[in-house]
Amino acid sequence: MTPIPPPEDHSLRRHSFDGIQEFDRRLPNWWMVLLFGSILFWMVYWAYFEWLQVGLTGSQTVALEMEHIVAARLASAPTTDNASLWAMSRNHVFVDAGRATYATTCVSCHGDKLQGGIGPNLADRLWIHGGNPTDLYATLEKGVLAKGMPAWVPVIGAKKSAEVVAFLLSHHAEGEPIEVQAAWIPILPQ
Amino acid sequence: MSDQKITIEFNDKVVRQFLLASVFWGAVGMLVGVTIAAQLRYWQLNFDVPWLTFGRIRPLHTNAVIFAFVGNMMFAGVYYSTQRLVKARLASDFLSQLHFWGWQLIIVAAAITLPLGFSRGKEYGELIWPINIAVTFIWVVFAVNFFWTLARRREPTLYVGIWFYIATIITVAMLYIVNHLSIPTSLLHSYPLFGGVQDALVQWWYGHNAVAFFLTTPILGIMYYFVPKAAERPVYSYRMSVIHFWSLVFVYIWAGPHHLLNTALPDWLQTLGMTFSLMLWAPSWAGMLNGLLTIRGAWDKLRTEPVLKFFAVAVTFYGMSTFEGPLLSIKAVSALGHYTDWIVGHVHSGTLGWNGFMAAGMIYWLLPRLWNKPLHSVSLANLHFWLGTVGILLYTAAMWTSGITQGVMLNATTEGGTVLAYANFVETVSTIRPMMMMRLIGGGLYLVGWFLLIFNLWKTVAGAKAVNGSIEVFDDAGVTTADEELSLVGTFLSPPVAFSIFGVGFSCAWMFGGDLLSVAGLVGLMLCVVLAYANFESRGKKWAAWWDRLLVTTAPFTILVVIAVAVGGLVQIIPTLIVHQAANVEDRRQIPYTPLELAGRDIYVSEGCYNCHSQMIRTLVPDVLRYGDYSRLGESIYDYPFQWGSKRTGPDLARVGSKYPNIWHYRHMENPRSVSTGSIMPNYPWLLSKATDVAALPGKISVQRMLGVPYPAWSPAEVFANADAQAKAIADDLRAAGTSVAPDRAIVALIAYLQKLGKFETVAPAKSSAR
Repeated sequence: MTPIPPPEDHSLRRHSFDGIQEFDRRLPNWWMVLLFGSILFWMVYWAYFEWLQVGLTGSQTVALEMEHIVAARLASAPTTDNASLWAMSRNHVFVDAGRATYATTCVSCHGDKLQGGIGPNLADRLWIHGGNPTDLYATLEKGVLAKGMPAWVPVIGAKKSAEVVAFLLSHHAEGEPIEVQAAWIPILPQ
Repeated sequence: MSDQKITIEFNDKVVRQFLLASVFWGAVGMLVGVTIAAQLRYWQLNFDVPWLTFGRIRPLHTNAVIFAFVGNMMFAGVYYSTQRLVKARLASDFLSQLHFWGWQLIIVAAAITLPLGFSRGKEYGELIWPINIAVTFIWVVFAVNFFWTLARRREPTLYVGIWFYIATIITVAMLYIVNHLSIPTSLLHSYPLFGGVQDALVQWWYGHNAVAFFLTTPILGIMYYFVPKAAERPVYSYRMSVIHFWSLVFVYIWAGPHHLLNTALPDWLQTLGMTFSLMLWAPSWAGMLNGLLTIRGAWDKLRTEPVLKFFAVAVTFYGMSTFEGPLLSIKAVSALGHYTDWIVGHVHSGTLGWNGFMAAGMIYWLLPRLWNKPLHSVSLANLHFWLGTVGILLYTAAMWTSGITQGVMLNATTEGGTVLAYANFVETVSTIRPMMMMRLIGGGLYLVGWFLLIFNLWKTVAGAKAVNGSIEVFDDAGVTTADEELSLVGTFLSPPVAFSIFGVGFSCAWMFGGDLLSVAGLVGLMLCVVLAYANFESRGKKWAAWWDRLLVTTAPFTILVVIAVAVGGLVQIIPTLIVHQAANVEDRRQIPYTPLELAGRDIYVSEGCYNCHSQMIRTLVPDVLRYGDYSRLGESIYDYPFQWGSKRTGPDLARVGSKYPNIWHYRHMENPRSVSTGSIMPNYPWLLSKATDVAALPGKISVQRMLGVPYPAWSPAEVFANADAQAKAIADDLRAAGTSVAPDRAIVALIAYLQKLGKFETVAPAKSSAR
């Protein structure tokens, strides 16, 4: 074997493999920058996040951000007492917004006319967890996990939840009799 | 050297066999691909038939195109080029035939077992354990046949293509064996040796490098033979070949964790995954440059020669997807693109563009040479080229649009960032359905192109006589003297190897050492780089002379490759063994599955639910808002195999337990649209009538105990009693909700499993975190 000839650009190596020859060109400078740049980036990034631990980890970041979100929610939460929710239910802006949320989020279990399905009827006067506006809101807040009702307030937020309660209340009147029902027997779609 | 010339006839029969098999399985694999693309757009096409359902045949598609289509194409290309590059006939005709028929038998076995739902539940590693053993055996046959041929070579020096073949054979063997280590529970079922976070790491170490060493390195080797041949031009740069070979095989292995960014995988592994993926950009592009710039001298031939057109576009797509890969490995980009169609598009620009077009170019080039007859129709090949190119462009454009759209929608928030803008997952799926149609059209065009190739092949080959290539060589060519070869000591006692070993050693000391060791590592690394540079500048000729000697000695070269590819895996996997132990889990620990839940989990795995559902809530605000608190490492510690998933065609299920009532799940599995309007999930009516395999549970639980899941020493009777009691409770609940189902049905076990998801116990935080 002969050693590699001096590295002149475009020099064709003498050996050929099944007729294939090879130039011995220099590597392009931009490519070298890319290679060594990315190695340098590894060192800087590792030093920042892992060695000196200046950067926050993923779980630290998300915990911090969620704290801000919870704070913002608390600060902007609508008043959800009985009187305010009844008042909202007579306001078209709230009711229309609530209808839109109901149509995407609630309709699959409670039916397009609130007639019930997997989940209970919401238009009649029978209630399982109480029929006061605050009871409705509390159900949205905590969910009924054993029966499959998720806690919606954390997902859609307090404002949208209040709007949905307003929409539901728009099918009812303040002071109408409330009857307590033990449980809902699901009506299953066929 | 004697002047005695002998004639060698190459074994081109096995090349023809592999080539035809690749064309056939390519058509099958792509047809299944188009089918599942259609199912995504029209869920009705699942036909309520178990073995036609998406979750079962998507693995069939991936396994078929990777191992059957590209696998056979690779073997054809490797065998054809190696014989010519080393001037020797394949060592053994018997091993060649065993390799061919064994591989086809494996493919047939896969094509039967996957639709029947026999699966290990790990992507591209779904095949059951008896087939795993067969694959390993046949791979060894391939290795023996290949290295034996190298040993009989009449060409002293190894060409760059051969380097890539060596790396492929070694690394695929290593990856495949480790990721398929399992303990069988029956002839058709096993649990993997690794679970939870460790299984996730091993899986993507394998999964990512299956792309690297099954779909990339062998095809690069093939490129280094067929591109200069077709272009009739010298390779652009030898120096680039050397640098990009070693940097590629060393760096690739480290990049696996980029499939697990923002998950419960320990942070340092994510950092390694991301930064090493970025480091892959330059080595990959060197491969593209060497391919494209080799063709550059022959642009005029592109007008008349479809082979070169295929190669040019293939290499271009290689460059595109190896730019996109590092991009997607940036944590912030991954937050948007991961789990969406963007990844699907990325993979297909690699497979359809790079693999598919390299295959087509190679096949069109080989046909006239293997059958000694001109290609039937050049214009049909041109038409194939244009159909294929338009097909890929439509496909990738559709997936970019779809993936970015859905990613943006899923991550969008309103009301000051406190609430999800699209709380209903199905809404985001409905938005991208037009893109699913466009993907179907793109994939369909590509398949039509492939049928043109088949027609062209048939017209060319029909009636033609197969011919085997031959050469005349001097009998004793390729014999090297001892001083030309490199001893094992000489291999390691050389500046390039010594500096590399010290460099990696110091880097590891810096990254993983304590305070003092860490600083020493950094200083050592700097010193090492400076000394290596100085040594190279002053004694560069010695480096070159060493390299020339290395290239004439197969064993030391192969050993260096083994070391280069093993380092990354060892550094990442061994520390994870410690983190994974239940005693070392901080924060939260998974509650082990009851027997019935375990049976349900096996149904989940067997139906391939992980193809569309993840079980991993990332450390990202939109994920937490949508699915609940982010997943902890300990929450999947007893999951054999892990089911973190890689795609969310449906929502994440990590905390779906207790979210819906049992009856909801029953109705949802029977017909998803009855409880989730607009859902595109298939119906699973057979789960309502099929019985749960309770009899297998005692055996399965004893294997789980061996793996370290803390089950009590139950007798089989106790296992059955436990499962029966839980099944009855669920059946009673379903009856109360108005549905009568026997407790021994599969649906009951599956519901038990789904309701368990996300259940954990809190553990006291440990003193220090293990790194």
